[in-house]
Parts: sequence; structure tokens; C-alpha cells
Amino acid sequence: MSKKRTGVFVCHCGTNIAATVDVAKVAKEMAGEDTVAFTKEYVYMCSEPGQESVVQAIKDNKLDSVVVTCCSPNLHEKTFRDNATRAGINNFTCEIANIREQCSWVHNDKAKGTEKAIKISRSVVRRVNRNQPLDAIAVNVTRRAMVIGGGVAGIQAALDIANAGVEVVLVEKQATIGGRMLQLSETFPTLDCSQCVLSPKMVEVKRHPKIKLMTYSEVQELTGSVGNFQVKALKKPTFVDPDKCKLCDECTAVCPVVVPNEYELNLTARRAIYIPYAQAIPASFTLDESVCLGLNPIVCGKCKDVCEADAINYDMRPETVTEDVGAIVVATGFDLYGQENMGELGGGKIEDVLDGLQFERLCSASGATKGHILRPSDHTEPKNVVFIQCVGSRDPAKHCAYCSKICCMYTAKHAQLYKHHVPDGRAYVFYIDIRSGGKGYEEFVQRTMEDNDTLYLRGRVSRLYRHNGKVRVLGTDTLSGQNVEIDADMVVLALAMVPSKGTTEIAKVLKIGRDKDGFLAEAHPKLKPVESVTAGIYLAGAAQAPKDIPETVAQAGAAAAKVIALLSQATLSRPPLIARVRRSHCTGCGMCVDACPFIAIRLENGKAVVNEALCEGCGSCSATCLRAAIDVKNVTQLQIYEMIEACLAV
Amino acid sequence: MINVQDIRDTARDLLAKGEVRAVIGYRRGSRGMLAEPAFITSPEQADELVWDPTCFHNLSLYLVHDRKFLDHIRKNPGAPVAIIAKGCDARSIVVLLQEHYFKREDVYIIGVSCEGTGVLDERKLAPHLNGAQASNAAFDGDDFVFTTAEGEKRLQAREVMADRCLECRIPFPKEHNAVFGEDKAGRQMEAPFAALTRFEEQGSGERWDFWSHHFDRCIRCFACRSVCPMCYCDECVVDSITFPVTTETTAEDKANRVRWIERSAVRSENITYLMTRAMHLAGRCTDCGECERACPVNVPIRLLNNKMEREAREQFGFEPGASIGGPSLVASFLDSDPGDFIR
Repeated sequence: MSKKRTGVFVCHCGTNIAATVDVAKVAKEMAGEDTVAFTKEYVYMCSEPGQESVVQAIKDNKLDSVVVTCCSPNLHEKTFRDNATRAGINNFTCEIANIREQCSWVHNDKAKGTEKAIKISRSVVRRVNRNQPLDAIAVNVTRRAMVIGGGVAGIQAALDIANAGVEVVLVEKQATIGGRMLQLSETFPTLDCSQCVLSPKMVEVKRHPKIKLMTYSEVQELTGSVGNFQVKALKKPTFVDPDKCKLCDECTAVCPVVVPNEYELNLTARRAIYIPYAQAIPASFTLDESVCLGLNPIVCGKCKDVCEADAINYDMRPETVTEDVGAIVVATGFDLYGQENMGELGGGKIEDVLDGLQFERLCSASGATKGHILRPSDHTEPKNVVFIQCVGSRDPAKHCAYCSKICCMYTAKHAQLYKHHVPDGRAYVFYIDIRSGGKGYEEFVQRTMEDNDTLYLRGRVSRLYRHNGKVRVLGTDTLSGQNVEIDADMVVLALAMVPSKGTTEIAKVLKIGRDKDGFLAEAHPKLKPVESVTAGIYLAGAAQAPKDIPETVAQAGAAAAKVIALLSQATLSRPPLIARVRRSHCTGCGMCVDACPFIAIRLENGKAVVNEALCEGCGSCSATCLRAAIDVKNVTQLQIYEMIEACLAV
Repeated sequence: MINVQDIRDTARDLLAKGEVRAVIGYRRGSRGMLAEPAFITSPEQADELVWDPTCFHNLSLYLVHDRKFLDHIRKNPGAPVAIIAKGCDARSIVVLLQEHYFKREDVYIIGVSCEGTGVLDERKLAPHLNGAQASNAAFDGDDFVFTTAEGEKRLQAREVMADRCLECRIPFPKEHNAVFGEDKAGRQMEAPFAALTRFEEQGSGERWDFWSHHFDRCIRCFACRSVCPMCYCDECVVDSITFPVTTETTAEDKANRVRWIERSAVRSENITYLMTRAMHLAGRCTDCGECERACPVNVPIRLLNNKMEREAREQFGFEPGASIGGPSLVASFLDSDPGDFIR
């Protein structure tokens, strides 16, 4: 191996690095390395003149490898590798030494920071000594996409992708698409009817020639990688043929099974055979296998007898479908933090204490009360209603630490809706702060307070209990410094938003990361807010963080744009930094096969074989192998050994 | 109580019918009472087989040798090899099967239960014999009976048994083709990991002194590695002179050879060797104790391996060699695995 000619480019990053690291000294030390032929320091290496100087230096000094000591490779590895290509050398001979996130930002002492920056830089210089020039791997792209979750986020993403001419598979767990938004009555800040704006989009999904709708289905397994995923989904049997069902509703009239209706948040009951909403898409009934008396004509069979269209088929079985797609959008939405977690507010056991979604159903024209606000216990019109904000949110000690973002707005909306329905009623709102950032939002809250005569009390509620047929609310008004006691006819809790149960499950199936609160983790908090950490999987809606409808729709559109851009390429180039087996050392024990999260390794004739199209170069195999028989290219055992040696200054 | 004649009959039968091409077992050795490994290939030799408290060797090592050194000269692997295996030995075979080192049909396991006892620790016996040499050792209920020049010496087995046998949880070879002796699971005489627990009651200073002493004394003769059925790697990653050069070795492989430790037998290198070995045995070591027995300078290697075994058991409920199709410790991941240490 002839000696390398490495160029080291030390970036100041303004003062981000230079304030804690003596960059001149780092450059000087690197110049002393055997293989370093050129060094340079510059205030912003990623600026246009900075990049040009890298290209020029490579050409002028006949450099064959490059080390840029700057920020995380997440940010500028691509930038500088592209520069290497522009200068006519192999881009995989360019490596980043991270002396910002891993050094200057986390240290104060300049002398020690400089010492560490030198060690980091030296270790990377030693690493590139053994870097091989590599060529990117080209893989074909499947021009299809999958959207998981049929709420407003999923609907929007599916429509945007389909309208670009790309076929979309929309998978929804429930019997209808529409998600949470379909449960809402009216939406802030314009008070337009939620169903009225959403249902045209649902119909469009149903009719779109490029959208394959799979309701009542769950994603079970994911294999493959960006551009070429294989998704296995289970299509649960509805026992009703949607093409034959005439929606005559005769079957529900005869069904003897009565269970709580989850679509109405358990405020009403439904039968074992049911349709979630009149506007459900697909417009068909579903027979709930878990509560039906047994799909057995001998036991019951009433629905089948009464169905004139002969749409009911007890012999339907679950069906596993495998879909090949190039990209995936995850839009699995949110649940409310359960009332049972709020012991101090009754833990869900006090009558007439509702959550926000239940109140939406009470206000909804299609809800149980046909849009009349009646309290559940005695169906009378409540004259005093207390709304409590931040229930479960902003409480790091006991509940969720984060702000659920939409509760200030929807509580204001609830108060307005209540006042519109019950003009002589009294609405109280307990709040900590009012957070009404958004177009028209602050004005909306002001209207609630001023035009709708709602009493806003700044303080928390300490206790709720039943008292003389009412709910006694004990709270504090911290502005007047007085304790407040209200006998309310009804209490509405603005519970925190949490990732839906389906989100937790799908994260495991797709192996995508979640943040500390369980929401799906974006790849970068600012620059990649709709990308998951896995290439080719994108995020939309409240599964990623609490957000309102306009933000959800915007994010869904952004995710769709990413998918369209990805799938518009004929081939994808994959980094060639993949695992390589040393066949002479492999004993075929198969531990790497088990350890590989991408199912990229198999045993063939007693030796491990890597599938180049699937390997992501994560190195799990290398870390597991007892025999050092599998390495990742350009991160070999020897390179790691020499990097450690450099860091220990041996 | 196992009648050794039953084992001999089985071996003879298997060889006579040609169902196995060899039987690996124990026979009387050339030194005193000790048994030694026997490789029987004809039915007539079957009567050489013995079963007594000195049958401590983990014979699965020779299954490894059979594949590693003899595979290439055998055109047709043909019939399987039969092997006599105690509980721990049988679990070693299961680990080897888990790691696809050979196939289940390549081995015929003649299991022997350690029943109420286990095997002898020679070092514990010497003080009881007052310098006399024993010429024979035999099981008898809860006792071991030794024959010396002065006559029979009967000792309670637990007084002279190997520590690992006192702590043994599974003295019965669950994986077997034929088995002799009763399954007396749960008969352990000491709590699992008792020796380790006693050792860990000391302060860190004392423990460091203890290990410094032993790491200084290790001569890195690699006897522990040679006797271990799990140490079947062609290249030992912590011994660069074992680097195999085969027809499949590339120039790149040679260039990328790593020498993780130096060859001199000094404390730092000895620590790295023994620690790396313990890490590589995590989830694979079945505590057969052969490494410690083979060590010429009495380094208590079991304590290191036991530590890993206990961690795996307590953190992940992992039992090495429990089932052939089961997951391996280091390559499997469950969502329920403890992850509090990841922040």
C-alpha cells in the first residue's frame, strides 16, 4: 500500500468550535502526521469559498484522501464527499472528524478541548489511511408507496402521493378511514364542521384510481429497505361484502349483542354488526368477531337471515397480503391520556366528567345526542360546565412533561360551542397559561372570553367529587389568590395527547425510533422533521408530536413530497459501506444472522453471506461475531483498533 | 445408580449394528485412579468403558476436534459419533448445535445423569488420603469410595466434589438419544453461584488484589482454550499467531490482521486475554469447569465465566444450552430486555 496523501481541513464553525478548540494547533498537529500532505483551517469550511478551497487543495496537492474536522457527519459528510467527487477522487476516501458535537459543544476548558480535538482528528486521519475507494450501489426503485393510518394525515398524504401518479396503498386498522378528525364536531378557529371538510377527501380516497384502500387491516412485518420494502399486512375479515351491502341497517335491528360504541367514545352502544358512522368509507357494515355470538348460524345467524342482499358471509377468513412499496408514510395518530391515570380528578369513575373527545361527540350533529348538549347521567342540559386544561400535560412529576399544544384552542372552542348551544349556561375554564400561537388563534380565544362570556380562572383543580347530583370542583384562582368551589353539572377534561396504541406497535414492527414520550422520532428536529431515522419511512401527524389539523395536513403534504421525490428516481444509490465476510474465519454459527436487524445475512454452505441490497452497514453483525469474521467496509477491526490506538496516544 | 455394564452394552450394540462409527467415552487411564478419554471404534473395545467420579472431562471437545481436524480426511461423514455426556457436557453439545458446528444427526448422545453426586475435584481429595495414592474411585449412593493401598476409603461425595457440581442446577442431560441414571434436578447442595457470591462479598480492593495476583501468575499457555469445546474458532482474536491462512484468505484479510494483545505473558495482556475469553463465553459456557481444571497455575477461571453466566441469567433469564433452536444470548433481542442503562 503506497502511502496516502491526506488533506486535513479544520473548520472554526465561527466560534462554535474555535471558542473551545485551538484550531490552529489542531491543524499544526495534523501536519505532523506521516500521511498528511496538506492542512488548512478556515472559519466556515462549509461556505462556498471554504468548499472551493477544499476542491482546489485536492487538485493542487494531488491529495487522495480527505479529513474534514468539523461538525457531525450527519450534517456535512455529504457536502464534503461531493467535493471529493468534484475534485476527481473517490468520495468514500473523505471522512468527517466530529470536533463540534462531540468536543467543543460539550467542553469549556480550551486546553483540554484542544487535546481531545487533536485525538479525534488523529484517529480519523489514521482511519482514512486504510479507507478503500468504493462505488455506490445502485438499486431499482419500486414506484409504489404505503401510507399507514387513515386519519386526516394519512388521507392527505395518500391523496398527494396518488395525485402525482404514484400508486398508494392506504392501510387503516379500523373499519373506516377518517380517524380522530371524523369524531370532531367543529374545528377551531373557524368553527367549520369537521365531517363536512373531511368526508369529501374520504370519498376522493375511495374513488381514486391510484389508491388501494385496505381498511380493517394491520401491518405485521416489514422487510427490505428504502426503495424496495415488502410489507406484510393482515386483512381482518369484516364478514360483510362491501360490494353487496346496501346499508339498509336491517342487520343491526336484529343483532342481539350490545356493546359500548368506541366510535362514540362509549357514550352509546352498538351491535356486534355495525357501521361506525353514516359517512364511513368504505360504506359497509362490519361484523365484530370479538363479540359476535360465534359466526355460527346454529347459535344466532339473525343478521345473515335478515340480509336481503346476501352480503353477510360467515366464512370469511383473515388474509395476509404482501405489498411491495418503495416508501412508507406512518400516520398512526394519537390517543388521549386515559382518565384512569388522573386519580385526583376521579380516575374516570365520576359521572358527567368527560374527556375532550366525548364532548366533541356530544356537540356533533351525528353524535349520540344529535348535537344537543345533554349530560350523560340524566340527559338534562348542563347549566354550569367546567373545562379543565392541561390535564396530564405539563406535569413532569406525575404525568406527561410536554405541552399537548392543542388543548388551549379546543377548550376555547368547547366553551364557545357550549355557549352557542346553551346561551344561558355558565362556562368556566381552568388554565395554567393560554398558548394560542397560530393564525387567528389568539383572536379566537379572546372571542371566547369576551363575546361568549366564559370565565377563565388561572389555576389548577385539586379535586372533583360527586355532590348532590352535581360534580363539585375544588380549585384555585391564583390571580385573586382565592380558593374556588364550583358545583358543576358537567366537567370536561382537556387530557394530554399521547401516541396512539397503534403507534407503539407500528414502531416495533417497522423498527423506527420513538422519543422519550413515545412519539415517533424524526431524523433531525429541525432539518428532517418528516423523516424517520430509517431511510424511506416518513412521518405525518400526531404520531410524531401533538399538533393541530393545519399542521398535520402540512406535514402530510411534506411527507408526500418527500415520497414523490424519492420515487421519481429511476434507481437509488446506496452507500457501499456494507458488511463483508472473511470466509476463512467464518464458522457459520449464525449469530450475525440473528443479530442483523435488516435480515440481510443468511447462511449458505456453512458460511455467512451478506445481501448487498439489504445491508445498511449498521455493524451489529460485526459487534456480535466472536471471530471477527464480519466487518463493515471502511470500518474494519483494524481501522477501529488503530483509531483507539490514536486516541490513547500510544 | 448407573450400572456401567449398561453403558458398555449400548456402545457395543451401536458399533456392532454400525449405527455409529465411534464411541467417545471414558476408560481407565495410565495414571492411578483417573479415567481418560477413550475413542472406541470396534464392539470388542466396549468393555474398556468406565463410569466413575473421575470422569470429569467434557468429551464434547472431541466432537469439535472430529469436525475441525478430521473432517477433511473423511470423504463421506457417514454414521454419527456417539458420545457419553453428563448434564453440563450435553448442554455444551446443545450450544455447538445451536451454533451449527455440526448437525444433530451427526451425534448420538449417550446421556449419563450425575444423579445425587457429581465428579471429583482431585485437589480436594489429597488431604483426605494423607499422602496415599488411590487406585480406583467409585460412586456409591451419596458417597465416593476410593481404593488405596491401605484399603477402602469412603468419603461423603459433597466433601470432595468439584465446586461446580455442588452448585449444579441441571445434573441431567436433557438432550440425549439414550440416557442412564435418574433425573435429580433441584438436588443442588449449594446455592447457584455460591462460590461467586462468596467471592463478591469482598471489597473491590481485595478483589483487585486477588485478580492481580492471578493475572500475574497466568502463563498464557492457552490450556483453558485448548480444553474448552466452545473455543473452536480457527483464529483466536486475542492470539494473533493463530491466524488461519486458507485458500479463501485474501490479501486484504492478511493486511487487516489485528493484534489486539501482545504475546508477552504480563498482567495487562493476561487480563485482556482472560476477560475477552469470558466475554466470548457469555451465554455459551455451560460451566463444565474444564478450563479451571486444566490450568497449570490454578487461576480460578470459573469465577470469571460464572459472573457472565449469572448476569445473563439475572438480566435476561438466559440459560446456556437450554434448547437447540433457542436464541443465542448476544445475538438475540427482545423488547422486554432490560434497557434502563441506555439513556
